[in-house]
Amino acid sequence: MGSKEVGRRDFLKYGISLVGTGVLGSQLVYPLDPVYAQTEKKGKIKDPIRIGAQATLSGPFGGYGQFMKMGAQLAVDEINSSGGILGSKVEIEFRDEELKPDVAAKNARYFVDDWGADFLTGLDASSSALGVGAIMGELDRVLIVTHGATEKLTENLVYKQGIKQIFRISVPVYQDGIAAAIVAKDFPAKRWVTIGADYEYGHTAWNFFKATLKKLRPDVEFVEEAWAKFLTSDFGAHITKVMAANPDGIYSTQWAGEAVTLIKQAKLFGVFDKIQTWMTPMGAAMDVLEGLGKEYPEKAWVTCRYWFQYPDTPENKAFVDRFYKRWNKYPHYVSETTYSAIYAIKAAVEKAGTVSTPEIIKALEGMTLMTPAGKRYIRPEDHQAVYQVPWGRITHNPEYPFPTLTDLKVIPAEEYFRKPPFVEA
Amino acid sequence: MKPYTVIGLCLLIVVLMILPLLASRFYLYITLQILMLSLFALGFNLLFGYTGLLSFGHAAFYATGAYATGLILKNVTNSLIPGVLGGTLAATLLALIIGFFCVRHTDVYFSMLTLAFGMMVYSLAWKWRDVTGGDDGLIGIPRAPLQIPGVFSLNMKAVSNYYYFVLIVTLLAILLLYTIVNSSFGLVLQGIRENSHRVEFAGIPIKRYRWIAFVISGFFAGLAGALLAPLENTVAPAAADWTKSSEPILASLLGGIHTFAGPIVGSALFILLKETVVRYTEYWLLVYGIILLLILLGLRGGVVGALIQFKAKAKR
Repeated sequence: MGSKEVGRRDFLKYGISLVGTGVLGSQLVYPLDPVYAQTEKKGKIKDPIRIGAQATLSGPFGGYGQFMKMGAQLAVDEINSSGGILGSKVEIEFRDEELKPDVAAKNARYFVDDWGADFLTGLDASSSALGVGAIMGELDRVLIVTHGATEKLTENLVYKQGIKQIFRISVPVYQDGIAAAIVAKDFPAKRWVTIGADYEYGHTAWNFFKATLKKLRPDVEFVEEAWAKFLTSDFGAHITKVMAANPDGIYSTQWAGEAVTLIKQAKLFGVFDKIQTWMTPMGAAMDVLEGLGKEYPEKAWVTCRYWFQYPDTPENKAFVDRFYKRWNKYPHYVSETTYSAIYAIKAAVEKAGTVSTPEIIKALEGMTLMTPAGKRYIRPEDHQAVYQVPWGRITHNPEYPFPTLTDLKVIPAEEYFRKPPFVEA
Repeated sequence: MKPYTVIGLCLLIVVLMILPLLASRFYLYITLQILMLSLFALGFNLLFGYTGLLSFGHAAFYATGAYATGLILKNVTNSLIPGVLGGTLAATLLALIIGFFCVRHTDVYFSMLTLAFGMMVYSLAWKWRDVTGGDDGLIGIPRAPLQIPGVFSLNMKAVSNYYYFVLIVTLLAILLLYTIVNSSFGLVLQGIRENSHRVEFAGIPIKRYRWIAFVISGFFAGLAGALLAPLENTVAPAAADWTKSSEPILASLLGGIHTFAGPIVGSALFILLKETVVRYTEYWLLVYGIILLLILLGLRGGVVGALIQFKAKAKR
């Protein structure tokens, strides 16, 4: 023990001095003065305009991040090759949010306080969007969320708490629940069940769906629920549980690889011979379409946050062509939302004539933008972009290497976007 | 302590005190993270390095501290000290309960029990949506002012103000823990680690000592979490995940587990390394993993342990 006693003192000494050099060292390696001060110059727009983007780039959902990067890079290259924004070049950097809110918040702090970001964008997980959203007032930069769908981001943080720096350009969970119910009301199905994603998104979407459908069609019944936690690979028990209730329609909130697995297993169980309708809000995402291919049953009704064949406009066609030419892929919905977010930044800077945050917020509020997904109106109360995406039925189309949508049901956005003042679902 | 250790310490504290004048907001934030992880790892190491009990579930106390502080600041009082104290107390209480069961076992059984309890707390944070907000987490936690009603009130909105609060709390907590490990109680813990049978024969109730060590350890983890909630304004279930439990383990191993300062040095290394690596590569996880492996395999006893050995060799 004696030698340890002496040792401990030395350890302490060395330890403390090492921390000291560590902290000091980091100061020497990286510049001392905050870069963000540069953006405050009056009159002249700074060059370059910096956008800090985040997505899940590693792990099983890493594909989402790659699709987001493609959309962002395309927009940045287009803008830069046509002279930039008011003569300033655009620079973008991506960081991995790891689907962890604390990592996402740290990345946001790095982007703004160290790298000198003028804008933030991206974010896949709802919890990451909320984590970054919570500190946007402090960082005081405009954040445009391009995926994370929780309605709390806009209804709670922007509308109720007044964190005006947050915007969202992608469709919120309303599309997954309320719009789904408006579509489902015309189906003969009366007995509904869910195989749901056992986290906030799955529960909220199902609650919206139930409440809306019950209002529109008092004769429907919700007879069973089976909840599957994150990264479930065997849905056997869930399928058996809901099928025991003898349903007409199944509503499922799985997405990405999980949606692919669930639908494959449901086919093995013969589910599609027994039910009338299957609804999967995220089922029109490119990864699910490619993942299931010919195996995607034509009974499935799906949507997402943007579908590349809608709307049938020259803007959209041109976007899809350019995207395909550049990446040899059709755009995923996160590619379009991120692409449009960067053009929204361009429009706002041009309108405001500056990158100063309060001016940009003013410019974005109430703005109407022409985007590949159609006209987007940015609602001033909660900063949610209002636009519509159709629901459609899966069909197998020989023109494409993956299934596409048919029998499109286009519900006007105003009908399924909740209106302020918001009430709890 | 030798005089030049004291001088070195004072110098470090002075640097930390004037850091807001030298560094940008981001580096203050990084330093805050190092301070909080240091607290977390120091508390963890009281169990691991000093008592010989490896816990895989310490994020449970960290998260409890964070969630409880968040709930208090959101719903009960908009005052920083009761929030942080309440959160720490909640974590300590939880450690009292979980520790009661865990210290009945040692080695891998102890580790697995802590892991199981840790996962229970994680599921609770995930499932108990009405209270914790589910996977969206607890949102809208205010960075409440530091105040004594009627006497004074300090605004904590600026990160630099909050930094001073965390720095002072951390320094006091480190001093407290230093006193504990150098007391006779601390010696008994090391005795339990080295030879629990002999200590037991000496008439010392070792389960009770382990339990107390567990509770103190939970207190420090809870304090670290309690300081996190007002900084980030949100808490999500990730704070209770087993990957969070691995952070104090790695930090302690990196710095050296048989030294008091090891976990602090390890925490600084852990955070600064990651911050540097993510700047250069998208495949940061791979690079980071390799660097950690090299340090853990190459430097026995962690960085501090290796320095000691080096110094001992140089003397010879």
